[in-house]
Amino acid sequence: MWHTLLLYRRLMSVQMRSQMQYRTAFVLETLSTAVIVAVEFGSVALVLNRFGGIQGWTLAEVAFLYGMSETAFGFMDMIFAGFDPPVFGQHVRRGTFDQLLLRPVNITAQVMGSEFTLRRLGKIALGVAIFAFAVQANQIIWTPLKLAYLPIVMFSLFLFFGGLFIIGATITFWTVDSIEVMNILTYGSSFTIDYPMTIYPDWIRRFFTFVVPVIFLSYYPALYFLDRPELAEAPPFAPFLSPVVGIGLLLALRFWHFGIRRYQSTGT
Amino acid sequence: MSIITVRNLRKEFKVSKHHRGMMGTLRNLTTREFTLVKAVDNIDFTIARGELVGYLGPNGAGKSTTIKMLTGLLTPTGGEVVVNGRVPHQQRQLYVQRIGAVFGQRTTLWWDLPVIESLELLRHIYRVPPDRYRQNLHEFTSLLEMESFLNTPVRSLSLGQRMRADICAALLHDPDLLFLDEPTIGLDVVAKERIREFVRHINSARGVTILLTTHDMADVERLCSRVMIIDHGRLLYDGRLQTLQDRFGGKRELVVDFAEPYPEVTVPGATLTHYHDLRATYEFERQTISASELIGLLSTQYRIRDLSVREPDIEGTIRRIYQEGLLTGDA
Repeated sequence: MWHTLLLYRRLMSVQMRSQMQYRTAFVLETLSTAVIVAVEFGSVALVLNRFGGIQGWTLAEVAFLYGMSETAFGFMDMIFAGFDPPVFGQHVRRGTFDQLLLRPVNITAQVMGSEFTLRRLGKIALGVAIFAFAVQANQIIWTPLKLAYLPIVMFSLFLFFGGLFIIGATITFWTVDSIEVMNILTYGSSFTIDYPMTIYPDWIRRFFTFVVPVIFLSYYPALYFLDRPELAEAPPFAPFLSPVVGIGLLLALRFWHFGIRRYQSTGT
Repeated sequence: MSIITVRNLRKEFKVSKHHRGMMGTLRNLTTREFTLVKAVDNIDFTIARGELVGYLGPNGAGKSTTIKMLTGLLTPTGGEVVVNGRVPHQQRQLYVQRIGAVFGQRTTLWWDLPVIESLELLRHIYRVPPDRYRQNLHEFTSLLEMESFLNTPVRSLSLGQRMRADICAALLHDPDLLFLDEPTIGLDVVAKERIREFVRHINSARGVTILLTTHDMADVERLCSRVMIIDHGRLLYDGRLQTLQDRFGGKRELVVDFAEPYPEVTVPGATLTHYHDLRATYEFERQTISASELIGLLSTQYRIRDLSVREPDIEGTIRRIYQEGLLTGDA
């Protein structure tokens, strides 16, 4: 285990160093991931300012959701980049995944160490900035429980998206190419939770409650942090379900190992 | 003592049938029809420690499927594989610690890193003790003449340099067994020769067992005393290269330069194929007459200035075996 962790750190630093080799490209790419978020949030902010909010949510409150989701997804996209389905599909297709299987190291650690997209720091930085603005502007009444719960919520979101990446990567064992459905799940759910769930029609809300239960990871916790009136209508445990997502990640890992076994029995 | 034991090894793939046309597309969606492809069909062999064996066969014969099963990348459909005392696909992590593998078509090194850093990383991956690592690195880099490009990123290496670096990388952890899949593909003559010499060295001096797949018959001739030939998933031949050559090699040739012109130069046991300007070429078969008998016969009748014997090339023999299915009857 210790050996695996040390090795993961080495592999990660290799990835970072190779990206730093092309300094200009790295700086530009990092900036561009930030600019994308800035433009996107900027336009949302303009619209919300014009109409004074949406369904009773102020710009600052939407920023809370937005910053939380972008930060968590950014970190995930950086650290789980090896599992990014299109990237991983390439490894399977080109046979480089076989090279990893030929090494005496845990395969999950190797896939995570095979890619580390440092340029996501741009997106992360902006996500953090938006979140900081939200915390500032909302005048949240901080209690010890809220303070303790915030990192848990963030980490759960991070793991949740990581699990989706792992599932998507595993599916490429069957499809070789990554499938569009997975993008709807990953990017789709990260986009959806940028905004309050009340703005969506019922079926979308149900989808993200029962099928991909991301509503428990951002919307309900946000109600709790912001002391929103919707909290009264929600089940009292709803904001505190986010750590349960850990089980989801375990299922994703089970599926991943199942996929590897099936890959070994069929090849490509 | 055998290091590889393979018994009744089978690997079947399901390949889904594709129908053409619009109706065909509909059928592809609604029904799942499969054809069973037997990539490896009941093969048996053992390889002893320290052997250097050539594994030959045309493309799609089942070579890489076999190698993938031997390296633990694929689970067999049936039969038994035991390599180095382990079942490769069941004990992957433990098993791969003791083997090395080079796939000529792709690299195991990190594209953007200098060669030496990739090797250093592999030292950590395989947990090679620092002293042992230094010793091996020193030996391999000097034998493979790698010093000049140790600090070059892998992406800037020539194919020959990259291949040498990959071979070095596969051996740093002192594997008992090395799989070489087309290690000379695409290289020039000098680079090929350097790699062959190195392969021979680690086999003889270090006792590393080597299984070599290649399409280059010169590799086989220089390196392997034993060859295995696979085609359509079945092992057609397992034995000495020379035996194969004796049985299926084409005719040998004797070229004679006479000291003076003779009107008639035929000789029993050999066919005169060419005679012009004092030089005659005869074809003869090993089974009918030996080269010395033939030369003896000729020299009693004519004055000979010079002569040479040409052996049939192995390339041609193997090509005939694949094309004409020479071995299919008696596997």
